[in-house]
Amino acid sequence: MDSNKKYWKGLEELNRTPEFVEKNRHEFAEPIPIEEVLSGGGLSAKTPRRDFLKALGFGVGAVTLAACQKVPVHKSIPYLVKPEEITPGIANYYSSTYEGSAILVKTREGRPIKVEGNPGDLLSKGGLSAQAQASVLELYDNSRAQGPLLNGTATGWPQLDKFVKDELAAIKAGGKKISLVTSTVHSPSTLAVIADFITAFPTASHVTYDAVSYTGIIQANKNSFGKAVVPHYNFDKAKVIVSFGADFLGTWISGEEFTTQYVQNRNSKALEEKKDMSRHIQFESGMSLTGTNADVRLPIKPSEDGLAIINLYNALNPAGALPGAKKLTNANADKAIILAAKELQKAGAGKALVVSGSNDVSVQTVVNAINSLLGSYGSTIDLDNPSRQYAGNDTDWLQFVADAKSGAVDAVFFLDANPVYDFYIAKDIEAALSKVRLKVTFSDRADETAALCNVVAPNHHYLESWGDDSAVEGYYTIVQPTINPVNNTRQAEESLLVWSDNAVKSYYTYLRNNWDKNLLAKGGLSGQKGWEALLQKGFINATAVTPGTYNFTLSLGGVAQTILNNSSKVTASGDGGFELQVYQTPAMRDGKKANNPWLQELPDPVSKVTWDNFAAMSPADVKKMGLDEFQVISIKGANGYSVDLPVLSQPGQAVGSISVAVGYGRTAAGLVGNNVGKNAYPFYNLLSGTFQTVSAVTVAKTSTIFPLSQTQTHHSFEGRNVIREATLVEYQKDPAAGSGKEGEHEGFYDLWENSPHDKPVYDWVMAIDLNACTGCGACVVACSAENNIPVVGKDEVGRRREMHWIRIDRYYSYEQNGDAKTDGRTGMVTKEKDIDKLVNFDNVTVVHQPMLCQHCDHAPCETVCPVLATTHSSEGLNMMAYNRCVGTRYCANNCPYKVRRFNWFNYWNDSRFDNYLSNEHTQLVLNPDVTTRFRGVMEKCSMCVQRIQAGKLKAKIEKRPLADGEVKVACQQTCSANAIVFGNRNDPNSEVSKALKSERTYYVLEELNVKPGIGYQVKVRNTLSELQA
Amino acid sequence: MRNISFIFKQFSKSVLLVAGLALCGLTANAQADPAKGEAIFKAKCTACHKIDVRMTGPALGPQLEAETDDAYLTKWIQNNQALIAAKNPKALKIYNEYNQAGMTVFAELTDADVANVIAYVRADWKKLKEDKAKPAAGGAVAAEQGPSDLVIFGLLGVIVIAFIVILVLNKVIATLERLLLNKSGLLVDEEEEAEEKVKGDKLALVKKALKNKKLVFFIVLCGTIAMGSWSWVTMWNTNVHQGYQPVQPIKYSHKLHAGAMKIECQYCHTGAFKSKNASIPSLNVCMNCHKAVKTESPEIHKIYDALGYDPQTQKYDSTKAQPIQWVRIHNLPDLAYFNHSQHTVVGKIECQKCHGQIQEMQEVYQYSPLTMKWCIQCHKRTEISGKGNGYYDKILAAHDKIKKGEKVTPAMLGGLECAKCHY
Repeated sequence: MDSNKKYWKGLEELNRTPEFVEKNRHEFAEPIPIEEVLSGGGLSAKTPRRDFLKALGFGVGAVTLAACQKVPVHKSIPYLVKPEEITPGIANYYSSTYEGSAILVKTREGRPIKVEGNPGDLLSKGGLSAQAQASVLELYDNSRAQGPLLNGTATGWPQLDKFVKDELAAIKAGGKKISLVTSTVHSPSTLAVIADFITAFPTASHVTYDAVSYTGIIQANKNSFGKAVVPHYNFDKAKVIVSFGADFLGTWISGEEFTTQYVQNRNSKALEEKKDMSRHIQFESGMSLTGTNADVRLPIKPSEDGLAIINLYNALNPAGALPGAKKLTNANADKAIILAAKELQKAGAGKALVVSGSNDVSVQTVVNAINSLLGSYGSTIDLDNPSRQYAGNDTDWLQFVADAKSGAVDAVFFLDANPVYDFYIAKDIEAALSKVRLKVTFSDRADETAALCNVVAPNHHYLESWGDDSAVEGYYTIVQPTINPVNNTRQAEESLLVWSDNAVKSYYTYLRNNWDKNLLAKGGLSGQKGWEALLQKGFINATAVTPGTYNFTLSLGGVAQTILNNSSKVTASGDGGFELQVYQTPAMRDGKKANNPWLQELPDPVSKVTWDNFAAMSPADVKKMGLDEFQVISIKGANGYSVDLPVLSQPGQAVGSISVAVGYGRTAAGLVGNNVGKNAYPFYNLLSGTFQTVSAVTVAKTSTIFPLSQTQTHHSFEGRNVIREATLVEYQKDPAAGSGKEGEHEGFYDLWENSPHDKPVYDWVMAIDLNACTGCGACVVACSAENNIPVVGKDEVGRRREMHWIRIDRYYSYEQNGDAKTDGRTGMVTKEKDIDKLVNFDNVTVVHQPMLCQHCDHAPCETVCPVLATTHSSEGLNMMAYNRCVGTRYCANNCPYKVRRFNWFNYWNDSRFDNYLSNEHTQLVLNPDVTTRFRGVMEKCSMCVQRIQAGKLKAKIEKRPLADGEVKVACQQTCSANAIVFGNRNDPNSEVSKALKSERTYYVLEELNVKPGIGYQVKVRNTLSELQA
Repeated sequence: MRNISFIFKQFSKSVLLVAGLALCGLTANAQADPAKGEAIFKAKCTACHKIDVRMTGPALGPQLEAETDDAYLTKWIQNNQALIAAKNPKALKIYNEYNQAGMTVFAELTDADVANVIAYVRADWKKLKEDKAKPAAGGAVAAEQGPSDLVIFGLLGVIVIAFIVILVLNKVIATLERLLLNKSGLLVDEEEEAEEKVKGDKLALVKKALKNKKLVFFIVLCGTIAMGSWSWVTMWNTNVHQGYQPVQPIKYSHKLHAGAMKIECQYCHTGAFKSKNASIPSLNVCMNCHKAVKTESPEIHKIYDALGYDPQTQKYDSTKAQPIQWVRIHNLPDLAYFNHSQHTVVGKIECQKCHGQIQEMQEVYQYSPLTMKWCIQCHKRTEISGKGNGYYDKILAAHDKIKKGEKVTPAMLGGLECAKCHY
């Protein structure tokens, strides 16, 4: 079935620009110059006999000499004294914690090589974000500090301790302030250490500074309900979700947790059992990951965010309508707000949730009022078991800066905070720090703040540390070291204990005492046994308090006025005036991990840009300003900060707005992250005492073009129909709606009738639920970590040579309004007018499709390989024998899914690539069970065959059949949304068999009869039909 | 020579033993019987004590030489804990000296038993001291290198003699042939003529042979075949290191350990039945025995040095520790994944199948070619041992449907597919 919907990956594909058409004619972006050789002087040129003989002689000589080389002697060095728990060749797993989420760390021969989710984790239930997956690489980061620094020179810990202690003693005597500046600390023991430090130095205070602040929510809750907390949201209980700019599936508070919750009402199970799904309406200016997943997404200007929320409040509560309500610029959005209000009310008490990504106290207060009206408190919002993930207090921080500037602060300690990079007025912080006598940073590298500090006391990486964490009230997790410290670093908590002359100097002992005294009992544990049980399990979960209901009783009159005032301050005016909104990308977040190549190379889920940030503008604005793609514009903020960034036409971007990601433009992150993109933090704005991400800017054109390495149209399907979609209404009428099962394909023929692939025991297949996949990209990083996939860098990505075995194809689409004249099969927009009609791309919808080797039973790649390097296994896998491959690349050419990757270089041993594979130190992260591939060799998804083999072997040794779900592939394991199910199709009771039997299942390019092994489930969207009418 | 010195040693030992026993008989208590004492000593004491060297406990020879109060000793041996509890100063001193590691209580030993043990220890210590005082039997060292030279010369001699025999035999055959020809009266003149010619033109014979086309063809053919087969074999065996036997840093003998001592393979190679790597044992495994066994051997001292272990004080100094760099014998290329446990536990394959008669190897060499052909051959020929393994129940049943009655080999279960070993 071909729907009327058109899907395209990028505007160039939609518009069929000549460059795009040209590039897509060829399989590889840069053809081999064989034509030149054949047509030019190549063949006709005479080769003199002498030259021929010379070449021959040299060849023979070289080969002989090469063959004379002695076989290298391999040394085998066993442990002197083998630790009892280590068996070389067998991985050990340790429970630990990454940012509040319980994880399992896989170590081989004493070195951590992969991070995996702990299935019992309260937050992500075994899933992990891209950042968490990539965190293991940071352990081996060469840019980390090798040891402590005193005034910029390397020193030892005893000398450093003496210096700091002497200084502290002098400062204590002087009586001036001491400030401990940290990003949010949610470790109970670290907080206890800080409290002890403050006891030892009474003038000390703890300042929590988050680069991305949630002060607005905390303050609003304090004002509304007397609880200064970030609440714990329950998206799983919400039937209708309305979000105003909150990227809750990506970067907002607890993305992985919210993903697991959100998907519960939208995945296959929910659809099949309840025949219903939640409805998600998103109002936002820049296209966010969450926006791409929304059922209805409406672009609104950043300045109108507060106004939209007021309008929603008024629609819900006409009796108490707030003053100052105006219509939004986007008339459709106005309509949608009325509809959203209806939907919210229809959902029933406690079944609706409204969230806002704003950091404005007033906006969040109105949101609280709305949620109170909807009865969300006690159900979808839990204020009694609050989240501890963000506790930053902007006022405290600004007070510190002011104090320091006035010379009232004598000592400052930065823990996990880098304000010189991410505070929006760099001048202020520099001026402030110049007046402080003792400046200590615990940064693990010589970062921007470290450059202004006189003491750098590098902290351990979390995989080297002891510690604990509590992301949500009542949920406590443990951090345990999995490797001896790689560098001469010391845990920050231990430094604080030493400097404050605490009775307990070892942080491990401190932690143990704290747990024995306060925390173990909460999980019903005690003593040494209890501690060991905790280390084994990784977390304790105290019984949650039953969340109470809260009623909003404040008057909103003044609040609404503040919102309108603030809104007018960021409203752009005049020529070249735009409203700029800074946001976080799911990969780079606040920029602390900018030195991680896995994250830099992970294509952004929405824009598919790697290795850069950019100015996202709506295509209408781009057209209006006469900009070319990637043309650099100069953006100037109100505070005078100006930055040059390439433009990216972003469908779905609100007209009149620009979105720029923070986390880029680091200058002292390390070799990888330095000078990648531009810093957008200075565009922050201070309104009503909190940081705002929106500001008014002016934009000027420049003449330079700065090409971005954007993967969106690499690996094109040439417009073939690979996405299947249905609305919930259609699904309820016919579960197979949109799956293309209308008997279109009849009479398949089989070329291999006489030699079918027998799969007597296993048939490894996969089912991917497009309705669950949010497109976050964690699977891409997990796959890189598991399969030793090289990072190729910006230039190579620009040449379409990224090596990821799994990619997330992001398709934009729009409804053709029943115009069936277009050529459905090729998906080409045949009429120029069709494009023109799409003035602002306001109504684009997005579908994410993970694309990886489909392990076809009739694999087109297998038949064209001249050396049988890729063959089919009796378990349904499409195998790739690297050592057999000679690099003809026929297979990549013949693969309809474009999932084969060619090693253009010897990435693990090529001086041109400072790749993590080629560095002796970072190499330690490689998975020893997977080979690294050589130049000239094709590679692709192996369905984690090493895991399949290991799982089978374990079952064989234990003399039992392999259980379903025992083998998990890396992408499946990390998926918080559980969008990927992997298993044995021959077992009728396996999860994957059941999933594939779903009516929604379809196979991509089924019509080619390649019999792919990966079934996709139709994307179902719970659209608001009234909106389209 | 070696034998002689050995016999001499044995002889002198027994003489000394007799002499020592005689001496003991004179000095020791009339009731004490060193022979009985020896039996008890070996059964109860050797775990922690040696006569001349300090082990877990003190070296008993010098200790008992210094301590003459047998009553105290008896009490100590029978129940040292009681003495310590009673705060006997002597007892406390030694208790503290040995890091307060209490000695086992031997309440079951009677006073007579203890006296026997003491007698034995004193006698043996005296004998050992006298042994040391005597100069080491000469010649034993010099003889060390003798046999190998002898063998080499012997071999050379055999070769030379064989060569001479061949020459002589050839000569005899030639003479006999000539005699035969003479007898029949044929070709005498011609031969003489030829001989004269040979003197004139040495290459005539070759020239003549070259004219014989059949001969030339035959020689060329032989040459081609020889060269061809030689290069065929050489090329096939490029990078095949069958028989590779590098010199290892420690002269460890599998023949002694696995052969004579019958130590199980997995006692040292712990990973072989658990993991993909069989793993070379870490030195703490060696120390399980060699803390006490053959402590004087220079090879064992290499272990001590590597560990930074001092046999006198029995202390480890990790700063002096230096891992031993063994030379890897079996080098499977990185592109092939091989798992020991799959073969040893699941496949129930004997170690010897791939590693040869390891229990007879003084030094280990690569027994198998470790080529892919070799792997595949085995996968094709070996019947899988799936009986009694729950994993295979269904698999074998499924397989039976396809190929009835045939022997099931790994190959049939997909054991020849690329991604079973290459990923």
